[in-house]
Amino acid sequence: MNQSMERLRRARPAPAPLTHDPDELFAAIIAEPRDTATRRRPAHRRAVLVAVSIGTAIVLTAGSAYAFTNLFGWHDAASLVKTNRQWQKLYVAAQSDLTLPPGVSWPERTFPPNTVTSTYEPGGMAVGIAQTSWECYWAHAIHTGDVSAQQRAHVALTDLLANHVVVAPPGSSENVAPPASVKPPVEVLASDGGLVYMKRMYARAAAGDPTMIAESCRANS
Amino acid sequence: MSTQSVTPEERFRPVFAHLQAVANYAHRRGSLDPEGIAAEVMTIAWRKLDAIPPENPRPWLFVTARNLLLAERRRARRQPPLQPESAGDPGLEAVESGDTVVTAALLELGPLDREALLLVAWDDLSPAQAAAALGVSPVAFRVRLFRARRRFQRALEATATPVTPDVIRMRST
Repeated sequence: MNQSMERLRRARPAPAPLTHDPDELFAAIIAEPRDTATRRRPAHRRAVLVAVSIGTAIVLTAGSAYAFTNLFGWHDAASLVKTNRQWQKLYVAAQSDLTLPPGVSWPERTFPPNTVTSTYEPGGMAVGIAQTSWECYWAHAIHTGDVSAQQRAHVALTDLLANHVVVAPPGSSENVAPPASVKPPVEVLASDGGLVYMKRMYARAAAGDPTMIAESCRANS
Repeated sequence: MSTQSVTPEERFRPVFAHLQAVANYAHRRGSLDPEGIAAEVMTIAWRKLDAIPPENPRPWLFVTARNLLLAERRRARRQPPLQPESAGDPGLEAVESGDTVVTAALLELGPLDREALLLVAWDDLSPAQAAAALGVSPVAFRVRLFRARRRFQRALEATATPVTPDVIRMRST
């Protein structure tokens, strides 16, 4: 599969020719006005104030911000990871809710730079690591004929899908977060058939066919 | 560096540095005016600078470019074709590839699979950036990319005869 990707990379078209001087373009663009909060029209500001008042009332009525979130279910994550320390804390906390196959330990991971990372992401990554580890373990167990190991992997992955994998509503943003009633760690999948694919993969493995699960192991390890 | 300590122009400079990448993105998706698309993206980026993740602007820029490409395509549909080859499926776009077998294999993929592959292989986005550009979670993108790679490999193996001409019409993503 790597060879086909390499061939695809080699087939990359030539860069688009730029005929204008970038410096001139830059100067022309920054001469334009920007959208800033201070440039909002008074009517808009009034609408914002009304919305804030209503929001405050709802929060006070419901009793907490969590209740407010529950009211709306899936939402864009407002709570973002700001430091590597915070990220590590969430990643380690997620590990206590998950299990890895025998002989496997949690890999070092760091706060991915240049990303907008919600507080759900470290846990989601931990779920993904556990999932891949169990897939590899299962594929190996099928190859070696270790029936009890196959059963352990099947149980572990069934538990992961049931309790730690959720599917976001269609059309959700990439930064979507589940309702507060969903307890982390969870892996949030887009509504594009990924969960169905995983279930099919595990059904095939449960039937003794390691092909799909071995491919997933190789691709995600 | 605190955003309060730098001017908007200084904050915009690293965003603007992606001008060529945005033009390439538009070019590879069959834009009639990739440089114009890139300039418009940058103008919007300047206006909405506060909304752009400062350390990772590329997904935001690509999403904006993609929206402009779709608008360009809608405008093109409303105009009568100037040349016979532009009179085909209005949902098609021209993509030039240096390898006709690769292009034929790409044609076999669905638009989501193709876009996942191209964002990584041609536009040099990391999986996390590509996920952001597509509006899906990184984990969902990982699954999508894996499937796309496998389908692409199969399509590549099944494509025995190169197709001509080099410029091939592809369905829009």
